[in-house]
Amino acid sequence: MTQLLEKYPAEIEKILDKYPPDRKRSAVLPLLYIAQKEYGYCTPDAIREVAGIVGVEPTEVESVVGFYTLFYDHPVGEHVVQICNDLPCALRGSEQFLDHACKKLGLDKHKVEHGGQTTTDGSVTLESVVCLGACDKAPMMQIDLEYFERLSNEDFDRIIEEMLAKSNHG
Amino acid sequence: MADLINVYINEVLVSVPKGTVIVDAAKKLGVNIPVFCYHPKLKPVGMCRMCLVEVGRRKIDRATGQPLLDANNQPEIAWGLKLETGCTTPIEEGMQVRTQNEVVKKAQKDVLEFLLTSHPLDCPVCDKGGECPLQNLTLQFGPGTTRFDYNDKQHLDKHYPLGDIIFLDKERCIQCARCIRFQDEVADDRVLGFYERGRTMQIDTLSEPGFDSKFSGNTTDICPVGALTTRDFRFRARPWEMTHVPSICTHCAVGCNLTLGTRRSARDRQWEILRVMPRQNEDVNEIWICDKGRFGHHFTRSQARLTTPLVRKNGQLAEATWDEAIKLVAERLNVVYGHVVGFIGDRVSNEDAYLFGKLFREGVKTTRIANRPHVAGADLVQKYGVGSGTNLGALGKGTVVLIVAGDVEETAPVYMLRLRAAAQRGAKLIVANARETKMDRYAANSLRYKVGTETQLVYGLLNAVNQGSGIRDQVAAYTPAKVAEITGVPEAEITAAGKLIAEAKDLIVVFGDEQPYDIMVNGQYTDAGRALPQACANLVVATGHAGKANNGLLSLWPHNNTQGVFDMLAANGAQWTPADGLKALYIVGSDPIGEGQTLPKSEFTIVQELFLTETAKQADVVLPALSFAERDGTFTNAERRVQRYYKAIAPLGQARADWEIIRMVGEQLGLKWTHYLTSEGVMAEIAATVPQYSGTEYAALAQVTEAWPPVGSNDLYFGGTAYDNRGGVGVQIKSGVELDGQSEMNWIEPPVPSAESTLHVRQLNRHGTLIDQSAVYQPRLIDAPIEPAQVLKGA
Repeated sequence: MTQLLEKYPAEIEKILDKYPPDRKRSAVLPLLYIAQKEYGYCTPDAIREVAGIVGVEPTEVESVVGFYTLFYDHPVGEHVVQICNDLPCALRGSEQFLDHACKKLGLDKHKVEHGGQTTTDGSVTLESVVCLGACDKAPMMQIDLEYFERLSNEDFDRIIEEMLAKSNHG
Repeated sequence: MADLINVYINEVLVSVPKGTVIVDAAKKLGVNIPVFCYHPKLKPVGMCRMCLVEVGRRKIDRATGQPLLDANNQPEIAWGLKLETGCTTPIEEGMQVRTQNEVVKKAQKDVLEFLLTSHPLDCPVCDKGGECPLQNLTLQFGPGTTRFDYNDKQHLDKHYPLGDIIFLDKERCIQCARCIRFQDEVADDRVLGFYERGRTMQIDTLSEPGFDSKFSGNTTDICPVGALTTRDFRFRARPWEMTHVPSICTHCAVGCNLTLGTRRSARDRQWEILRVMPRQNEDVNEIWICDKGRFGHHFTRSQARLTTPLVRKNGQLAEATWDEAIKLVAERLNVVYGHVVGFIGDRVSNEDAYLFGKLFREGVKTTRIANRPHVAGADLVQKYGVGSGTNLGALGKGTVVLIVAGDVEETAPVYMLRLRAAAQRGAKLIVANARETKMDRYAANSLRYKVGTETQLVYGLLNAVNQGSGIRDQVAAYTPAKVAEITGVPEAEITAAGKLIAEAKDLIVVFGDEQPYDIMVNGQYTDAGRALPQACANLVVATGHAGKANNGLLSLWPHNNTQGVFDMLAANGAQWTPADGLKALYIVGSDPIGEGQTLPKSEFTIVQELFLTETAKQADVVLPALSFAERDGTFTNAERRVQRYYKAIAPLGQARADWEIIRMVGEQLGLKWTHYLTSEGVMAEIAATVPQYSGTEYAALAQVTEAWPPVGSNDLYFGGTAYDNRGGVGVQIKSGVELDGQSEMNWIEPPVPSAESTLHVRQLNRHGTLIDQSAVYQPRLIDAPIEPAQVLKGA
């Protein structure tokens, strides 16, 4: 398992150089970014390779992947849409907004609320999440790393359609 | 004693050492603060919140630094606004703790209500039921009801294999992390971790192979719920159905104390061992055992066991009566007066070996007995072994442990845990071997020498310390510079390790047999095989570290009673001389042919065994012996602690204890041995006649002491009684030098390796007659010795 090392030797070396030799484990997060970018999610093999690079047990790297919600341990869609459904958002109608989003994408709300669900064409993964720190601008969502705020159902349709058109899934 | 600090638990004063946490301070008063994640053998983490208590601290006058006093001249107490975790909060002078008031009770109820939101109601089929801290604490501290919606319970995998032997029930897990922390802090094998977080957090492993640490079974003991179970025990019995019998592990020389959970089967009415658990002995194994000891008990009920005596008739071994077999044995031993040789294995008890030696001395009139496998240096350990009062669990700053030519993890696994902990407390480990071992991780100095040069290295260290008065001239030649040249260890490292030894307050030298030299060649003991133990003995004598507690030699013996069998034979004057023209050969508990060796030619061969081994197949008479679980006896461990084990299950077939068979032979030979009615009687004679074994009568061996930290039945860390030591902590016998005060050094010229020299390596999980009977352990077993990695070849 040296796929990442072979493909990104310079990037990995640059990351490792930031940390003292006996603290290589500190490089786990940035190395996992590379893995997730390469495979779309953190594959077990990639986790083992990262563990090998920093010299810890694969289980320890797996714990990191499991802890952070932005690392995925399973294939996700080309775009990940996260709708905040915490209390302040719910008070401003995010539940109804989420209902609409599920209907629009043809997804099961229960699954979306329990770990997320991906459309059959693999274009979008929808997740219901807690607090993205934009309570005053609810309902809101995050697509990949971009925020969209003060949304209506129509806004959702438009944003999704534009996004899919851009990536030729529309 | 460390600084004592006064604290008040529920208004009762207790003085405890600085650094003690509230939970332990309360324990001193007999006050149990409920815990789940806290375990006295692990570092506190304060994760489960079960131990919340109300804490008050003295108000201090900032100007004077003195406590403020109230109208009654008592210190004013500022009570914390929030409850604090008793397991992570160290006590402070004048601290007040309330563990049972309404606020605390409310918190305990709330925490338990949370823990139970997703805990399944499968107590009726749970292995832990009856000895479960969650059950017990819910009864004592929990709410009688829940406000949680039953439909919101999580439904998770109930049979998730973490490895070959350990299963996780994800629903039962309460995320206390005791198992993860054990793997990390105690076993140093970080193959368990948390996955996800919050309500979905679960234990998992991604390691390859998964959870198959040498110590994995211990996590099922410390798990405070039934989340971790073993393939061996799960769903086989309820804890209260079992009878708990104190025993001693027979798989290595550590001598871990065990509790055998036994039950009479409803199916075939046979007694069987259902579970092996550690029995607390803070001087030996604390509360840990390795997986081989835990799962290696199945040989006691193996279908392959011998159940009747066998006698060779018309070339075939055929079943015979005891009467017939014993008469035949005695007849052959009697006729050939003087031309008999005995071999005795080092797994048998002290009683067996003692009586065997006595049978030869008084009945057969010869002293030609050898213990098998042959070991070198048992006489030196008898003389200069670690002094009485030695406790590896107490080693710390000022102690140096030199480990030479041995792999502690593979040959005495629990010593690895204990020595690692000693290193963490400040002891310095010098690990010398021709290859890397796990102990190198904890070493202050790792010395990697060329195969076969271990003896020269030890003399190099001795040279660096001082010259060694009795052998000054010889040692003088082994300067660090010269030894560096011979061994390949850099001179600076030899000097540095020598400096550590020179400055050591206490020194223990642990030696193994991982070297290339044969201990016996053509029936003769060799100097080459003995050179290393002699060098180690010279080192402890020359540096003044013999005959004191926490000082001296410790050998990684191959089996559970190597030292005891040697001592018993020596007490009977047994001496090995090469044999020829033999009329009879009497072998007890040893399988030389199965180990690839040849037997001396003999007209008649008697084998006393558990199984029809390769050696037994060649015998003229085979006598069926009992396993350790079916009889009483004692073993002497590597630290020379004599420990007693008890009969736990009924004998299989007509098999009898080794000492009893030997007694029958003796009586048939006309010896007046009627006073050996029990093994206790034999041990009483050993205690009375063998000077070093004075004070090892059964009653003395059965003495128990109060253990700290307590993990038995009177606390909340474990809900059952299996840890309780009710069988005795044993007696560590004095070393020879403690008895006679005489020590001497002897010189054996260090052997020189050849280019072909290869290491003899022992591994815990090699196939063997006994462990092969445990089906559950098969995935762990390995066929051939793994080619040792990173061996420094040389010569």
